[in-house]
Amino acid sequence: MSALNAGRTGRFSPEALRELEEIISHYPERRAAMLPALWIAQREYGGALTRDAIEEVARLLGRPAVEVEGVASFYTMYNLGRRGRRHLEVCTCLTCAVVGAAGVLRKLEERLGVRVGEVTPDGEFSLSEAECLNWCEAGTVVQVGDRYFGNVTPDNVEDLLAEITSGEGAGVVQQADSVVQVHLRRKGAPAGGTGRG
Amino acid sequence: MAEKRVLLEHRDVPGIDTISGYEAVGGYEGVRRAVSMDPEAVIAEVKASGLQGRGGAGFPTWIKWSGLRGNPPGPRYVVCNADEGEPGTFKDRELMLRLPHMVVEGIAIAGYATGACRGFIYIRGEFTESARAVRRAMDEAYERGYLGPGMAGSEATFDLHVHMGAGSYECGEETALMSSLMGERGQPRAKPPHAPLPVVSGLWGRPTLINNVETYACVPHILRRGGAWYASLGTERSKGTKIFSVSGHVRKPGNYEIELGTPLSELIGMAGGVVGGALKAVIPGGSSVPILTASMCEGLALDYDSCRAAGTMLGSGGCMVFNDRTDIVKLMCATARFYAHESCGKCTPCREGTRWMYRIYQRIMRGDGRPGDADLLVSICNNIDGRSYCPLGDAAAWPIRASVERFREEYDYWVQHGRSPLGPDAVPEVH
Repeated sequence: MSALNAGRTGRFSPEALRELEEIISHYPERRAAMLPALWIAQREYGGALTRDAIEEVARLLGRPAVEVEGVASFYTMYNLGRRGRRHLEVCTCLTCAVVGAAGVLRKLEERLGVRVGEVTPDGEFSLSEAECLNWCEAGTVVQVGDRYFGNVTPDNVEDLLAEITSGEGAGVVQQADSVVQVHLRRKGAPAGGTGRG
Repeated sequence: MAEKRVLLEHRDVPGIDTISGYEAVGGYEGVRRAVSMDPEAVIAEVKASGLQGRGGAGFPTWIKWSGLRGNPPGPRYVVCNADEGEPGTFKDRELMLRLPHMVVEGIAIAGYATGACRGFIYIRGEFTESARAVRRAMDEAYERGYLGPGMAGSEATFDLHVHMGAGSYECGEETALMSSLMGERGQPRAKPPHAPLPVVSGLWGRPTLINNVETYACVPHILRRGGAWYASLGTERSKGTKIFSVSGHVRKPGNYEIELGTPLSELIGMAGGVVGGALKAVIPGGSSVPILTASMCEGLALDYDSCRAAGTMLGSGGCMVFNDRTDIVKLMCATARFYAHESCGKCTPCREGTRWMYRIYQRIMRGDGRPGDADLLVSICNNIDGRSYCPLGDAAAWPIRASVERFREEYDYWVQHGRSPLGPDAVPEVH
């Protein structure tokens, strides 16, 4: 590993390296920061964990790349394959299924011109089914990046698409950044409320 | 009986998610009281409350806490399981989003009582909105000295960190969660008698306490108002209140907090009653628990013992209500798909069995069901049940077996006719 990677420069920015070192300090060993390191990598590498991303994480944590890949491939939120810049996940689990998730999925397939599991030709959107997103009171639930949309029906799919195209946080890169940020302690952060949404 | 709000009492108060808003309604009094007491006395208070784990298993909370204290000196860890993934459950997501300080306070009390140096809150990767609320609450709690060195004016040091998941139902199981927290694939570990409990050897081989979000959220109230007060709620053997996430065919789906022992029919009434038809079935405690027919629901009280006696479980409190347009075979097809998708692959009976079951449902849905498929499902369930490291396999087997036993005629119709006994408009629609 180390010989293979000698002299290679990674894509982690100095800020990303600082974030990683802070997160590593939360644990008694570097390896424990594997999941957050992969989240940082997913952000730094533009939304996908490429071969280079896996190898950089392996180098930074001092673990074999095959182990890092094994971990990354276990979790559904790491993007090892091709996803669009905005990845739409429609919950089709029990409650959403009985309140009409299939209709939402069909409408999204129609509207985006792709089937479940595919990416639009321009790389903008991808569509998948999701297991329970655990906001069943608002079924059908659709997750796009770090945004949850509730009470989605075939009739309001257009609003959702408009919102994710213009709004913040819906991209796979922003999602990875949001996940990274909550690991980090904000010193002297302003006290502020959060809306319900 | 009506709702009995303890955890959710101030859910709708503006600013309750800020530290000043939370303190204004008695927040952090629990931890201040705790640190004025001996840690053993704090555990005694939790014991007196009768609190049982709210994640699904219902294990007495104080036994875990007490188990940590028996260990030799050295690092100990406290973990909050915020990897809510049980289908039909959405209480932890809301608790963290709207009442994050209550969760943080509960974890801090556990840290003090168990002598832990450090805590982790393992939050489901999808829950960034809730995680941001928890992050803000933690930052405020640090600022006010409820976390960190000299927590809440004591001599103890307790640090709390957020650890985000990345998409895996299996990580909600405590040993798999620990694997994930240590940077591994989220697979479970051996348990007694083959290996020690996490309270003896958990994270990095050190004593580790793991409780669910709702369990921790109960603790500040128990410390503030006393274990005896908490124990006065609920029934003799199921103490306190419990949040039920009600969804499906009801008018007002949402989280409802009730005293344990409240009738299921009243909970459904609180949620506005059944819509779109008559009541057909209820899954009272998340997708892992056996489904109940409408007649089995009659007179059922929602407490641990009554649910067990009725042939189901209280579980996580994810109460899914289905009207008579619901096709149980289709519904269980979605359940089978869930477990086949989420099996972590470690144990053969679960890994293979869940996929076999899903394939059987798929052929039934295609109209290719074979005579004997219902019995085959039961046989597979019997061979998964109890044969895996963790309860995921059991959780796949129990609801499917119960559905075959309790809705056998629907399976037989599907196999015989290749279509739903309820006609083309039955729900759920299979995509």
